[in-house]
Amino acid sequence: MNEFRRAWLIALKDLRLEFRTGGRLLAMIAFVVLAGFLFAFALDRSAVAGRDVAAALTWLVILFASTAGAGRIFDAEEEEGAFRHLLLTPVSRSAIFVGKTAANLVVIWLVTALGFVALTAFLGVRDPGSLVAHTAVFLPGTIGLAATGTFFGRMSRHSTLGDTLLPVLTFPLLVPVIYFGATSTARVFLERPWTEISGSVRLLWAFAVGSVFIGAALFRHVTDE
Amino acid sequence: MTLEGRGLVCSYGPTRALDGVDIVAGGREIVAVVGPNGAGKTTLLRALSGERTPDRGEVLLDGSPVSGADPGWRGRVGLASHRTGLYRKLTVAENLNFFAALHAVHDARHTVARALETVGALALADTRVEALSRGQAQRVALARSLLHDPDILFLDEPFTGLDPAAAATLETTLRERRAAGGVIILVTHDLTRALGLADRVVALRRGHKVQDCEAGDATVADLLRHFTTPTPDPL
Repeated sequence: MNEFRRAWLIALKDLRLEFRTGGRLLAMIAFVVLAGFLFAFALDRSAVAGRDVAAALTWLVILFASTAGAGRIFDAEEEEGAFRHLLLTPVSRSAIFVGKTAANLVVIWLVTALGFVALTAFLGVRDPGSLVAHTAVFLPGTIGLAATGTFFGRMSRHSTLGDTLLPVLTFPLLVPVIYFGATSTARVFLERPWTEISGSVRLLWAFAVGSVFIGAALFRHVTDE
Repeated sequence: MTLEGRGLVCSYGPTRALDGVDIVAGGREIVAVVGPNGAGKTTLLRALSGERTPDRGEVLLDGSPVSGADPGWRGRVGLASHRTGLYRKLTVAENLNFFAALHAVHDARHTVARALETVGALALADTRVEALSRGQAQRVALARSLLHDPDILFLDEPFTGLDPAAAATLETTLRERRAAGGVIILVTHDLTRALGLADRVVALRRGHKVQDCEAGDATVADLLRHFTTPTPDPL
């Protein structure tokens, strides 16, 4: 059995657990929707148009939600010590990382989709631009968030600081995702031509691919004693 | 087949959990590891299974070094511990099918059913683990550890929470695996059971091996003194 098949099995198992448990996903969804709701009251629409800030707020909300969720990626693994047994199977640490990142990514996609709808609605963005272009921006950005969150979600388990360590570790690393993601999304909102956006999207893809490969290569250092 | 730990040293920060422990376990042999809390029993199991890389020393199978980094080695090892290692929101069958698939077990459905039947838990296949009693979950955990027919079985307090019938089933299973040529290392606090089931007993105390003898040559009183004497007396 190849490692991709094993990673796929781990992702399916994680998603099954995620949807049966529901706690992490519901908390993340509630966070993005309520954050959008509060932003609608916090902004003075006579001074700032919702369209001008929607991109930045959307990316920050997704970042905060995915970071909060990352701290609980390994909850089901630790509950009865299952992770110990998973590590004793012949599956490579890289495949475990890829599988868990894939499951985390599906959750982040759901949260992103709902967050996007909620924020554009609450901020009164009537014409958000091409949904295909938005998807093309969010896809690599969320892969980077999922891979980084999975890696540091595991690392924080080894620390006495626990989840409080996660933002400290991940936020500085995720500056490129937020910068290129928010500027690209802002340009899609403004219906700028794709040639003005594609450079940033390529950088988002570079970050996504790099974070998956580096995470897969280094994951054994945060799993093995 | 012989599994050997040679000069194993493991530390957790400033605490030395294992301090130069040697242990040998042959095929068709059950070796019981006993000792008081903090003796290093579980750490020894983790070092031998490859879960933890020892700070010093090595683990050898038939004279060749083995490591937890080697997937081939991990595929030959089975583990059952007092924590079940099962996913509570999955059913028993989903748990076992998942681990069978990761081990690339041939004919997984049949193998899972047979493993559950062996431990008397076939009727629980569609029950979520969260609905099982402690003893039932322990039986399922044992079935999971046997799925891939491991050569080497590590058991860390496997009798915890088992009712007498389940404990008897576990003992029978272990004797059958011993007869089939497997290496079995059993960590337990239950000295009577250790002497009744094992061929050899190894006693640890504060990271040192303090006794290593045939089970027939030891008594519960012999072993009990390692729990009560004030200072260790390493071999």
